[in-house]
Amino acid sequence: MRKLFIASTLVFGLAVCGFWLASTVLTTSEAGAGVVQKTAEPQWSAEEVARHGTPTDCWMILGKEVFDFSTYLPQHPSDPDVIVPWCGKNASEAYLTKTKGRPHSPYADSLLPKYRIGVLK
Amino acid sequence: MSATVSALKRMIAPALPVMLALGGALWALPSGLPPWRSVSIVSAWLGTGLLVGSLLLMVRAPRIARLLGGLDVQYRWHHRSGTLGYVLLLLHPLALAADGWMQSPRLAWQALAPWFLSWPQWLGWAGLLLLMIGLGATFSFDLPYRRWRALHYLLGIGVLCGLLHVWALLGEPGALWPFMLLAGLALGWRLLGVDLGIAAHAYRVRSVVRPAARMIEAVLEPCGARMKPVPGQFVFAAFGNGPSFRGCGEFHPFTVSAVGADGSLAVGIKALGPCSRHVQALERGVLVRLQGPFGTFLSGRAAVAELWIAGGIGITPFLAVLRRERRAYPTALIYLYRSAQDAAYIDELKAIAEVDPLLALHDICAGGLPDFDALFGRVPDLRARSVQLCGPVPLIEAAREALGRHGVPVASIHFERFDFR
Repeated sequence: MRKLFIASTLVFGLAVCGFWLASTVLTTSEAGAGVVQKTAEPQWSAEEVARHGTPTDCWMILGKEVFDFSTYLPQHPSDPDVIVPWCGKNASEAYLTKTKGRPHSPYADSLLPKYRIGVLK
Repeated sequence: MSATVSALKRMIAPALPVMLALGGALWALPSGLPPWRSVSIVSAWLGTGLLVGSLLLMVRAPRIARLLGGLDVQYRWHHRSGTLGYVLLLLHPLALAADGWMQSPRLAWQALAPWFLSWPQWLGWAGLLLLMIGLGATFSFDLPYRRWRALHYLLGIGVLCGLLHVWALLGEPGALWPFMLLAGLALGWRLLGVDLGIAAHAYRVRSVVRPAARMIEAVLEPCGARMKPVPGQFVFAAFGNGPSFRGCGEFHPFTVSAVGADGSLAVGIKALGPCSRHVQALERGVLVRLQGPFGTFLSGRAAVAELWIAGGIGITPFLAVLRRERRAYPTALIYLYRSAQDAAYIDELKAIAEVDPLLALHDICAGGLPDFDALFGRVPDLRARSVQLCGPVPLIEAAREALGRHGVPVASIHFERFDFR
């Protein structure tokens, strides 16, 4: 068990460092090479989304897309305490792992385009 | 029949965390999600179930230990399920990052880096880091006991952080209710019932003798309800205060060296750590809290000739048997000690061997591991004997290896591990 603990912890640490390194190196090189295509729609950074983190000004990141749910929040079926903490955040995991780890319903998916304001930079 | 029951009992301890893990994973089994996201959810629930099972196996109570085939079996699976649960939980964030990687390396990193996340995920990270620190302490050989115990508490806090992380993400308790309830009960019982000793039996020190250097034997008499230990069992004892003695108040395991007909019992205490060194100054009248009895060593023995091998303080369970009754079958007792000063109870053992024709005592003064091959040459019909081992781990391992070389079947070799860290 001791060996398993040490080996798994080391692999975990290396993997986390690997993801950080890949994020830094690959993102920079992609940008430098102009691989990312410019789109016509607005691009928002995570920092910009984070500035809209209140119940009345509530943006969220779902996947690579950015949504403004400010007007939708009062209609959300769950307790406001469940959704409000995600304002200004990347809520992809919460959106895909609602109750019992299952994603939101197709109906919820159909509502999304209405609130879409751009993509993640 | 008893062997079958014993084998079945030993299955309960591993089955408990496995059932909890599978129950959680089945409840949360995702459908229609990307593969890495599914891996993340399943690994999280499997890991959580194993950790909650590990908490349940940490509860130290005589009835539970008996049900699970002994405290050593219980604690072995406590360690195994806790470590495996931790490994599965390490996979959880990595699988989330792998899922993000499918879209971009940046998104993968945003799924991991706490500054891109919010408090529900911070709870998860806190839980994982606490488990990492707590397990690191658990597997540290050189850590002093008290520091080890303090760091071990971090594991319980880590599990609670993990459960709250799931609760916050789900937005409803769901299948988490049983997990929260079981974890709360296990931690509560461990803290109040075991570590604070609320459920302990009150005893008082009747007398103290010194059978060897750096060792005492204390006879304890019940103040109220009494335990019913049998030779081979051990108790956890926390020594309180006396007229001029101040106890360290911690529970430590000690093997019973005598069981009195009046409800009294004796424990042999070797100065091995800070608390047991302090207890060498024990005096009459000190209040003692006892938990137990625990252990299955020397229980359910076959009616055949035996070989007992004792190293140092490991003589105490055999002494308890010899003090209680004469041998019914030929028994060879190999007693190994480091020096004449460390030969606890040697005069008493020699006196017993003189009057009991079925007991053959071989006392050996050896600085290190003895020549087992030469020793076993003195024991007639070795292969037909049931072998009982008690002593330090290196001695037990060396004896087992030598017994194997002499053709003693593995099923005939019995020992109990006393490493409860």
